[in-house]
Amino acid sequence: MALPAMRPLGCLWSLMRAYEPLPMINRRFISTAYSKRPEKLPLPQDMPPQFLSQIPLRFRPDPDRQPLKIYPAPPSARKACKDPIGAVTESQLAVLDPKGERKAMFDYRRNPRSVKPGDIVRVTFKNGDPFNGVVLSIKLRGIETSFLLRNELTRVAVEMSVKVFSPNVNSVEIVQRSEKKRRRARLYFMRDRKHDRRSVENIVANYVRQKKAFLGGGNRRR
Amino acid sequence: MLTKRCTQKLPAHLYTSTPSRITMSPRLGLQLPLWGSLITPISVRSFGIRSLTPPKPSRYNVGPGLPILESSPEAALRRKANSLPLRAGAITIKKGMTAIFDPETGKRTPCTVLQLDRVEVLSHKTVSKHGYYAVQVGAGWKHPRNVTKALLGHFSAHGSSPKRHIFEFRVKDEAGLLPIGQSIEAGWFQEGQFVDTRSNTKGKGFAGVMKRHGFGGQDRSHGVSLTHRSMGSSGPGQGGGSRVYPGKKMAGNMGNTQNTVQNLKILKVDSANGIVVVSGAVSGPKGCVVRIQDAIKKPWPEVPVEGEEAVKGEATAAA
Repeated sequence: MALPAMRPLGCLWSLMRAYEPLPMINRRFISTAYSKRPEKLPLPQDMPPQFLSQIPLRFRPDPDRQPLKIYPAPPSARKACKDPIGAVTESQLAVLDPKGERKAMFDYRRNPRSVKPGDIVRVTFKNGDPFNGVVLSIKLRGIETSFLLRNELTRVAVEMSVKVFSPNVNSVEIVQRSEKKRRRARLYFMRDRKHDRRSVENIVANYVRQKKAFLGGGNRRR
Repeated sequence: MLTKRCTQKLPAHLYTSTPSRITMSPRLGLQLPLWGSLITPISVRSFGIRSLTPPKPSRYNVGPGLPILESSPEAALRRKANSLPLRAGAITIKKGMTAIFDPETGKRTPCTVLQLDRVEVLSHKTVSKHGYYAVQVGAGWKHPRNVTKALLGHFSAHGSSPKRHIFEFRVKDEAGLLPIGQSIEAGWFQEGQFVDTRSNTKGKGFAGVMKRHGFGGQDRSHGVSLTHRSMGSSGPGQGGGSRVYPGKKMAGNMGNTQNTVQNLKILKVDSANGIVVVSGAVSGPKGCVVRIQDAIKKPWPEVPVEGEEAVKGEATAAA
């Protein structure tokens, strides 16, 4: 019989819980724990098919089931050629630049004798008209390597990007080296009025005249 | 209407002698024994909604020997017959872009470099079983421990190593079904032929309407605040139904959807390295999966009977 005065003592029931017997989950007898696990009984060989539905699906005999076999991978083209763009570039360079002269001529990072930004360059094309200018930048992009030339024609500034390995480019000659060592790879500041080189036609014309005299008046071009 | 019909059926002498009886309800009239022999039975009320134009069976489109309806799977296959390639395609990886110079003309063509890696035929889809013809092709390699058991069983059953990419290529008929296990090399395509490429575009994430749909946006000023790049109204008001119509262009996820680029010319084929070079650009970033197949808008390529091993296999499959 619980008197109202005993009600505050109700909290003491939680203390009693520690002494309650545990539920029977996960408790085994010692004999079970220490005895040998019984072996699974195999299915009867000649079981009538109407009993198959009573067996779980994964235990039913499956005549079509074959052991899982993992086949080895065939040789990989990806491993054989890790740089396909490089391979395509190489195959083209073998035709367009078999001796590697053009590649060396613009490889300004490795070749000290190459064309460098700031040089004045004369380019002749297959269709005959040459283009002269100051090299503003050289972009090394494999087969798409190009350089940017700046000049002034009829008092209008002109820029032209030339693909180095293009078959339309007949020759590239260095007319004049840069006077001072350039500290930049891209001389885009030369587009500003203060640093603009303006026309280089006079320098190139002078060079062509000297070259003609040196070669004995012939009209030969490299 | 029923009373009117009654008046028409009645004999003339009755009509003249008892005019008051004519206007009575037909239901009462049927109960009269005297009138029962004179009046033809009239249907009692019927319930429910009846159509004013009840459906009539067509006099023409029934009966045996008629052509198959155009909405059947067979008709769909027949319609597709002209636009389905004869051969399967290949799964490739986009490696990047470069250019190819023609040494004679000096013409520069921008191109995309694709690489085939261990492309093999896994299984077939046939009309009898699946309703269409297709070749299931796998490419690459995936570690078996990263492949689900169900898929491993599929590879095991068809004698293939676990593949990273699996795609189907629809073909016109069973002549295009390559033998299972056949490897598809770069030589499967010829220089000069045209292909269609399918790949996923670059994902742009959640993009606004100006970027995603090219909307004009709103004014920089003139009282516009905080909504310079948002869409305007999303639909008409009360007269238009007071709702947003389905398919309204709004902001959302942009890119990373499949795109087909048609009629790309094959400029170069390198069987040893599995390289196929196609002209122009292909959707997607470098390293994405690109499926290439014969272009459906160009004449089919003439496959030589003898030559590459892959081509030989195709010939035997066709025979």
